[in-house]
Amino acid sequence: MGKTTVAAGLALAAAEAEGEAVYVEFGDGAGARRVLRDRPSGLEHVVLDPSRAVAKAAAPVFGSATLAKLALDNFAMRPLIRAAPAVRELGVLELARQVVAEHPGKRVVFDMPATGHSVAWLKVARQGRELTGRGPVHDLCAKLEAELISPRRASIVVVTLPERLVLWETLTLCETVEKEVGLSVDRLVVNRVPHAPPENALTDAVAMSKSEGAVGEAAQQLAELLSIRDAVRKQVMQALDETVHRYGEDKGGDSGLTLLPFASTDPTARTVAEWLRSAGAA
Amino acid sequence: MKHPVVIVCAGGGGVGKTTASAAFALALAKSGYRALIVSIDPARRLADAMGVELGTQARELSLDSDGGQLFGLMPDPEDALRTFVEFLFAEEPEALERLLDNRLYRVLEAAVPGIHEVATISLTWRAITEHEVDAVVIDTAPSRNAVDFITYPKRLAKLLGGRAVGWMAAIGKRTTVAPQEDKMGRVEQLLLRALGPVARDVAGLFAEMARVRKRFILLNEHTSDLLLRPETRYYPVASPTAAAKDDVDYLIKKLGKLDIAPRALILNSAFVQERDWVQVLEASAETTPAIDEVLSTLNDERSTRNRAASRITDAFSRRYPSLPQLRLPFIESVEPRSIVHALSQSFDIATLLER
Repeated sequence: MGKTTVAAGLALAAAEAEGEAVYVEFGDGAGARRVLRDRPSGLEHVVLDPSRAVAKAAAPVFGSATLAKLALDNFAMRPLIRAAPAVRELGVLELARQVVAEHPGKRVVFDMPATGHSVAWLKVARQGRELTGRGPVHDLCAKLEAELISPRRASIVVVTLPERLVLWETLTLCETVEKEVGLSVDRLVVNRVPHAPPENALTDAVAMSKSEGAVGEAAQQLAELLSIRDAVRKQVMQALDETVHRYGEDKGGDSGLTLLPFASTDPTARTVAEWLRSAGAA
Repeated sequence: MKHPVVIVCAGGGGVGKTTASAAFALALAKSGYRALIVSIDPARRLADAMGVELGTQARELSLDSDGGQLFGLMPDPEDALRTFVEFLFAEEPEALERLLDNRLYRVLEAAVPGIHEVATISLTWRAITEHEVDAVVIDTAPSRNAVDFITYPKRLAKLLGGRAVGWMAAIGKRTTVAPQEDKMGRVEQLLLRALGPVARDVAGLFAEMARVRKRFILLNEHTSDLLLRPETRYYPVASPTAAAKDDVDYLIKKLGKLDIAPRALILNSAFVQERDWVQVLEASAETTPAIDEVLSTLNDERSTRNRAASRITDAFSRRYPSLPQLRLPFIESVEPRSIVHALSQSFDIATLLER
């Protein structure tokens, strides 16, 4: 839905406005290869590999890198780490925290996983802290909350599409982030918004559909298509209005909603950065 | 039990994976199968796509036409694990009670990453056996998570089948009295220190798991087999965007590492159907400026969408010349359910299952 392009566009705009910024993606680095071909010198690109995250993040939990290796190489720990829920996510978050700590004062933009998984990642530090009560895992989780997933440190930008299924799910995601993670959504970016037809197009098509013969039938088809688009657009705008009303109150006049246009080709991060800047969102 | 036809649809976020999966399942049902559509994705699109309420128990859906039967399953992240453990501990009620009281379990129940997927695939196995379905379509989470999901039951079976369960349970026994570190191994000490007070809950959970270990291992072997046996059919789903193409490339590469070759590529919104009526209106003298503008926009949109789709189709054809492509039309409707029904007509089940 353009999440990677928007994330890279935000990072690029920040690098150009503030001199330096960091764009972080999880996985194989394909996102930047696709959308950040002309990366400016002030924009650093970091790729975090989730499959290596636990090994890299375990040292502070076990006391040292040597002890972490001893523990993780244990016959029982190996399969446990590979299968235990949330362990890898904590590892990835710790690597993310380290990136932030290594870049004080710079804006760091994370291209997070899709929908439900993002929420699960954001929740896991709090769950871990509350569960453990004390000890190194508790301390790690508390540090993640304070330095990474805190309203003082993090802004959430949600990217969606003007399609019913995707949008409905996005709005649920916004609620979940607020209720279960304790972060409010700072900006909702709706990507690939089609151009609205001229105001009187539907009325004209309905009037023309009363003509006899092939022209009347063709106008009827056009009227049906325009009605569908109108209904979908109204559904989408109503849902967005409710969301803006709910999340945009404290933004000093900024609705927190950014609509990006439907483009004939896949936009690059630079194009999206320009769109975001002109919409006052970057 | 006879193995059902298992179809796994995977792809990036926002490509129409759920809609395509639902259309595939509907087409199977219309072709006479007792089909089950399952959403592993913690997102809730499947219920919206089918236009019905779906939940943790599989339920039969209306086909609106002749054919076989269609069941839907979309476990709620909030109660999937509870339903699953009640099933797992059906013959161990006291252990179940202790498990439900375990602090770690209670956290896991609150949708910890990974838990929903493993519970859902296990509940899928249960639904297959209970409803005797002969075709299952699995709508996975977006690509990068889908690969984890495919291998998760195997990893879990390995954990449960190995010595780790006994080892962890033994730590639990030692933590019920004052921990005596001098009697513990170095790694046990490290783990206890790292986990802090929750070590007892972790060990307690493993002790309960040990009671249903055989059943759990068997279940994970079944679900792993369901996902990884050579007959399981993988269909990457893409839409005409470069991001979707990258996601499919990633998925095919990862599946290759598991010796899984996709059967066909499903390309959503791959073309906009010819609209003869546009030409009729263009040739008419009765149109207004507003209608002329709309017609021009429709032509632009159509050529833009078709060009984007051709670029992706060509790129896939060059990269995967032997992989068939199922190109689905771009359909507009107010109701997602109508889109699913329309798309289901593009699935030629006999041809697809021959490959």
